Amino acid sequence: MRVPAAEGMESAADRHTAAIFSTDAEWADHLVAFVRAGLEHGEQVQYFADATEPGQVMRTLTDRGVDAASAVRRGQFVVTTAAETYLTGGRFDPDAMIELWRVAVESAASRGHRALRAIGEMSWAVRDIAGADRLLEYELRIHQEVFERLPLTASCFYDQRVVPHDALEVLAGAHLTRVGASSAAGPAPSVAVAPLSDRPGLRLSGSAGYESRRTVESAAAALAGSPTEQVTLDLSALDHLDVAALADIAQAAMRRLPARVHVLGAPPALTRMLHFFPELASGLEVTGR
Amino acid sequence: MTAATHLPSHPEQGATFHHPALFYTTEEDYLNGVGDFVRAALLEDRPVLVAVPDERLRLLKDSLGADRPGVTWVDMRDAGRNPGRILSMLQAFADRSGDRHPFLVGEPIWVGRSAAEVREATRHEALINLAFAHRDATILCPYDSALPRRVLALAHRTHPVIGGPGEYRPSPANLDPHGVCRDCDTTLPEPEDPVVLRFAEHDLAVARDTATHWAEAAGLAPARRTDWLLAVSEATSNSVRHGGGEGTLRLWRTSDTLIAETRDRGRMTDLLVGRRRPDPFSAAGGRGVWMMHQLCDLVETRTLHSGFVVRLHMTLE
Repeated sequence: MRVPAAEGMESAADRHTAAIFSTDAEWADHLVAFVRAGLEHGEQVQYFADATEPGQVMRTLTDRGVDAASAVRRGQFVVTTAAETYLTGGRFDPDAMIELWRVAVESAASRGHRALRAIGEMSWAVRDIAGADRLLEYELRIHQEVFERLPLTASCFYDQRVVPHDALEVLAGAHLTRVGASSAAGPAPSVAVAPLSDRPGLRLSGSAGYESRRTVESAAAALAGSPTEQVTLDLSALDHLDVAALADIAQAAMRRLPARVHVLGAPPALTRMLHFFPELASGLEVTGR
Repeated sequence: MTAATHLPSHPEQGATFHHPALFYTTEEDYLNGVGDFVRAALLEDRPVLVAVPDERLRLLKDSLGADRPGVTWVDMRDAGRNPGRILSMLQAFADRSGDRHPFLVGEPIWVGRSAAEVREATRHEALINLAFAHRDATILCPYDSALPRRVLALAHRTHPVIGGPGEYRPSPANLDPHGVCRDCDTTLPEPEDPVVLRFAEHDLAVARDTATHWAEAAGLAPARRTDWLLAVSEATSNSVRHGGGEGTLRLWRTSDTLIAETRDRGRMTDLLVGRRRPDPFSAAGGRGVWMMHQLCDLVETRTLHSGFVVRLHMTLE
């Protein structure tokens, strides 16, 4: 069920941002702009620190003219840690995190705040933490399961000095809004995946081979877990997928039966493979190009 | 071992597998040898698959009746164009037959087959003995005596029983299928001026793009480019997964065929991989190799000391 966000709020697509930075100054720019806007709009602002020492967050805001200390005293600004939020229990669980957002938004509203605004440092994603491999699945799911439903604005902080280029590009691509340019060299990942902005579902683009299997697995997990009955998988910008990618998608779709995943713009490779393996189509409703 | 003069028309108790080669010269030989085999099977109410080249298919249909119940007719020139996909078809038919001992006619080699096709068809014949070793089935393989002598000699090594209508005998040759397959791993002719691309996992997308654009420039019909890309994709990813993490892709054309070759440091430990329709949901079932066989006009494989080689052929039509 879609719950209207607070009046005057931006669309869900604009409220889930990947903020990319590669220097402390860029980090501070993102931090200050985001926190200042939240405080000015009467929103509660939370910062989930991971690599950054919480005191550094406060000092940076103060140095840049944001009265963070007053905001903390009146409960409008909270600095906590990724360990207490994303990683409760020592592991990352997308379902638990989605529930945490619901509770946090309710709590902010009950304290009279207009909405909730949060910054999450995502550097933990590259550490050996149980469930960290589900981060992409989570980023893909929350557009529909969190931002379309809750008055939340969030900025996921991705530090290019910590997150490798390939992983960062894929994760940032799962956000419909991105700020900060990537400075790292390297080719773009062969596959990109993002939530659809106009309906529940995902868009896979590029060329999905063995090298992009983890991206496709995450996309399939997001499809399987989507709570909406109608889900669309837009493949109109996908040039190729291999049989392993199709099997992942097909298996995810089968977990949703009797509802079927509507596949839009299926590439010729998909149609050809269904000729050989028609059982892969059982959870799919395929529309070709 | 005593000479067998007739093929068993009804199986004994337990799993029994018969794989005779029938050498024929005339249409009359063919109709007697193959026709009698089919008629005997039908008398026993056995499921029958006849997979032979189209002109032989017409001959048999005219003789036996094209609408004869219980017979599945297949043009081997089409279904078996790539010899590497025939065994999958035979096993699927045997699977569908349940506990009714199936009778199959498979003629994978005919006059006009290229040397490369004959080699892979010989490998297929040897692998039949492995795949059906503990199954109930009788598979008759007709060989035209107009085929080169060396081809007919190979049939002695791939069939436990050889002969002609009414006069079959055990083959005196060494029948070890592994040995036959090793002998099929001959030196491949070197291409002239191929496009060469070394690849590891992070280069796979570039390898696919290179193969796609090259095939398009070489004139591969749009309808076949999808098959080409799917096959190259599976071959290159297999090199990364099973061939030591990297490989070399070479692309070249002959007068009428595009060829993509992957070389890596892998070994083919299971000779039957890709020779049976896999469970598409299982990553361990050889679905990539099976797809290559379905998609290509010829797949050549070589297990060499240096590693594993796959050549994917696609005809320009």
